[in-house]
Amino acid sequence: MARPDTSSRYPGERRGAGHLATYVVLSLLAIVYIFPFLVQIANSFKSDEEATTAGMSLWSPNWTTAAYTTLFNNSNFALWTLNSFIVTIVVTIGRVFFVSLAGYSLARLRFPGRQGVYLMLLAVMSVPMVVLLIPKFLVIKSLGIYDSYPGMILPLLVDAAGVFIMKNFFESIPVAVEEAARIDGAGTFRTFWSVVLPMARPALMTIIILSFQGSWNELNHFIVSTQSPELTTLTKGVASLASGQLSAGNQYPIKLAAAALMTIPVAVIFFIFQKRIMNASGGAVKE
Amino acid sequence: MSTTQGLARTAASAPARSAGHHSRLNRAQAGAGWLFVAPMVVVLGIFLFLPVLMAAWVSVSDWNGRGAPWAPGVNFVGGRNYADVLGGQGLAARDFGVSIRNNLYYVILVVPIQTALSLVLAFLVNKRALRAKGFYRTAFYFPSVTSSVAITVLWLFLFSASGAVNAVLGWFSINGPNWFADPDGLIHLMLGGGDGPDWLQAPGLFGISGWEWLAGPSVAMTAFILMAVFTTSGTFMLLFLASLQAIGEETDEAAMVDGANAWQRFRYVTLPMLRPTIFTVLTLGTIGTWQVFDQIYTGTRGGPAKTTLTPAYLSYDAAFVSQDWGRGAAIAFVLFAIIVAFTALQRLILGRDNDRTSRRIERARLQATAQTAAHTVPGGSAAGPTIGSSDGPS
Amino acid sequence: MPRTTRAAATSLAAATLLCLTACSNGFSSANQTPIASESANTNPVTVLIGSSGDAETTSVKTAVAAWSAKSGIQAEVKVASDLTQQATQGFAGGKPDDVLYVSTDQLAGWAKNGSLEPYGDQLSNKADFYPGLVKAFTYDDRFYCAPKDFSTLALVINKSMWSDAGLTDADVPTTWDQLEAVAKKLTKGKRVGLAFSPEIARVGVFMAQAGGGLLSQDGKAQADAQANVDALTYVKKLLSEGVAAFSSDLGAGWGGEAFGKKMAAMTIEGNWITGAMTSTYSSVQYTVAELPAGTQKGTLQFTNCWGIAADADNKAGALSLVEFLTTTQQQLTFAKDFGVMPSVQSATEQYKTDNPAMVPFINGAQYAQNLPSMAGAADVLKDFNSQLTGLKGKDPKTILASTQKNLQAVAG
Repeated sequence: MARPDTSSRYPGERRGAGHLATYVVLSLLAIVYIFPFLVQIANSFKSDEEATTAGMSLWSPNWTTAAYTTLFNNSNFALWTLNSFIVTIVVTIGRVFFVSLAGYSLARLRFPGRQGVYLMLLAVMSVPMVVLLIPKFLVIKSLGIYDSYPGMILPLLVDAAGVFIMKNFFESIPVAVEEAARIDGAGTFRTFWSVVLPMARPALMTIIILSFQGSWNELNHFIVSTQSPELTTLTKGVASLASGQLSAGNQYPIKLAAAALMTIPVAVIFFIFQKRIMNASGGAVKE
Repeated sequence: MSTTQGLARTAASAPARSAGHHSRLNRAQAGAGWLFVAPMVVVLGIFLFLPVLMAAWVSVSDWNGRGAPWAPGVNFVGGRNYADVLGGQGLAARDFGVSIRNNLYYVILVVPIQTALSLVLAFLVNKRALRAKGFYRTAFYFPSVTSSVAITVLWLFLFSASGAVNAVLGWFSINGPNWFADPDGLIHLMLGGGDGPDWLQAPGLFGISGWEWLAGPSVAMTAFILMAVFTTSGTFMLLFLASLQAIGEETDEAAMVDGANAWQRFRYVTLPMLRPTIFTVLTLGTIGTWQVFDQIYTGTRGGPAKTTLTPAYLSYDAAFVSQDWGRGAAIAFVLFAIIVAFTALQRLILGRDNDRTSRRIERARLQATAQTAAHTVPGGSAAGPTIGSSDGPS
Repeated sequence: MPRTTRAAATSLAAATLLCLTACSNGFSSANQTPIASESANTNPVTVLIGSSGDAETTSVKTAVAAWSAKSGIQAEVKVASDLTQQATQGFAGGKPDDVLYVSTDQLAGWAKNGSLEPYGDQLSNKADFYPGLVKAFTYDDRFYCAPKDFSTLALVINKSMWSDAGLTDADVPTTWDQLEAVAKKLTKGKRVGLAFSPEIARVGVFMAQAGGGLLSQDGKAQADAQANVDALTYVKKLLSEGVAAFSSDLGAGWGGEAFGKKMAAMTIEGNWITGAMTSTYSSVQYTVAELPAGTQKGTLQFTNCWGIAADADNKAGALSLVEFLTTTQQQLTFAKDFGVMPSVQSATEQYKTDNPAMVPFINGAQYAQNLPSMAGAADVLKDFNSQLTGLKGKDPKTILASTQKNLQAVAG
């Protein structure tokens, strides 16, 4: 059998042309992926007119911060941001917790009605959200939590897709680990919390990112669950800036400025947590 | 003590457990099972499942939007709404048929492409030797992070007749179409356009002729397809990344040492271990693409010539604009049935078997670990059989 | 699924539904008594608007505050993020906003399900509104709501392209033949003489000018009338000759964009174009003229109204507010603040004096038609629009025949 090439740091790593090709491909793709976002930022610093007529150019002879000034002065931007943060942070923490519990239960624990619960999960994911808007509104109203923080937060605390993702992830973790823990006398929760969950770190980091993003960008639910100006979140507030007719023009700069600002927290969270997806420990299957 | 030995011990000692111990364990497990799943059941049950039941009632009633659907005065009308949408040659049925056709092409194109692309991206940014991984990952994830309204607006920019995409196509001497305003179907264009053969002209399913069914996605729809792939590839890349990280590198390295080339490693080692994630991505993708709504609402609202009309948008239109709530709900539930059918079909084709797959993964892992151990110990001997190799020790 | 769990789930659902029924308000049938006779109350009045921007929001808030000070009743203006959804939620939940913007598209649905109060006949200034606008908001023979403003379509002309082609004020077209000739003169290279959106909401002006229209005087479907065929044949002729084009074929989102980006020398648009031109295409100098006549003058009008919810908790207050908001003076203020046209005839002369450039728009009120807006009409119009994009290669008779079939099903 051929001896492995030990001249490079990592076994089997190809040097030279193949490596360069990867970088080129990746960089081209990265440019394509970032480009729309750059255009968005550029247009937010242009006038209404320029954004429509010269929308594609990344450079403008007349940079203006008019869109941002309008955004901050004529709207309650600070309050909207605060509300968005409150809701998003609570929902993210809640989701990570509840979704991993539920996912583990559906993946590994046997209990009567397990199939039924899983079917309900799939059913709920498969019904188009559009038709559920008014019924959800009526339920929230009847429970008395309309136009309040609980009304905004509670319905978002669990998302079906998250449970689905965690369930499938837990299923790919070797059963041996749990069986070993059980032999050692750990209860179900102990097994889950101290043994399985650390192994699911990559999935957990993914859920954190997805939950943060999902609740941060949520719009329909906030329209459904609130009406008072004090509870307006960023998404809802931005939508109200230009919900009328054509008569005021496209208003691209202000819409894009708001969208650009809203992207920042999510991008930051992503950048922080994507590193942690790296599975440092490699799990319990080590010497 | 290594888990390998622990596993051997479990296997050896399992039959020796007492029945009472097992049933106590089972009851404890059942209790824990319900407890863990309770928050999900409560939240989803109240805020999603209950509305689903309500919507189902609306679909078989004559509720008109004023007052609650359970108030007195709202009557049961049986399958009338469904009949309007599914049967007959009226406008309602024809619109529904067109929307199904449009969405079908959308699903067939988006799901495979986005799955493949996100897998490739995850693979590329997972290579240990790659520098600036964080930068590339964030770059690919950017479109997923931006709100769909902003992306749609941006896409309308990029794909307008004088936009960037046509400018780039112009470098290659291709005359780009007027994307969002072009209702011609791709398949029609490939077959040379025109009105098609006479034998395909008769009104068929939902009152739409066979030729129209074969239209393929319109050029406008194609722009949306590209947008969908663009925005979701980042999210699914993330899922694949997490999965690849969890699998770890030992198995891959062991196969590399065995002399498998990159393609063989990918096909026979990595891909099988990614099966659960591929299943997740395919299912989420199918469910998501069948419900496409936001982009249509912000962008073309069904035009041009109804070629970007989707069932979800039709449901919204029927309910909120025409106040025809029964029809809107009926459309949604027919869509639900289609999604369930597609998901079941997918499951059948992929042949899911949770336990077998996870056991296979675990076995591969153990072998890989043993292999690595063998090779790092100087002059070491293999602790167990190597993967796929029928030779003796090297 | 095990029986026990299914039973449990069903009883949970049933129990919750029962609770919801018990907890919900009872809803009385539509209130038939006139608002004025209701006992006056001092509940706050809420107004839901879909704003086009800061100017409109500020203007409406100022006006409502003025009324509030005068009447002593608290009033609040809410800017919707999604007017349709929020209004629908209000109606379904039994606690709608008292006053809200209602478009002609929405009227039929909300009138039919009893969400709106037909208060039109109780307006003290009822006779002042343009008759055409009153007709637009009459459903089932009841005048539902006060038109708050309106727009008509007119011919918008690029001044510099006009003079470059050697045309003068005397050449402004007043007949179809003149329009064709002028458009031919203005077509140069890639620039077309005339552009408009491919929809009934623009092409319909020609049908009105031919003495046709989708509905007859008594509201019956007449899509396949000869007048309409003539109109579409004329439009097809303009398109085939290359002197006119659909804005979508030029790569623009609407006629105003094609005009503003100088892809066309003329366009058919409504008075909202002035706002777009000022904010987005300020380099284009333009003038407005009334549309040419076919066998008669014709154009289309679009309007919104102040709807009052049938379940509002202060209908008398709402009515008083609407009367205040539709007075001549207040409407002229709105016109000045955010560029809409007043819906009352008493404001016409003052409006013409204040806005000489808008005279052709307001003159159009004399002969403007409404598009069909009964329940189900929106879908018929959408279907017509989807066939219209291919007009160049289609037979107008076929398009109108299928539209007639659809329209008969909803209009009779």
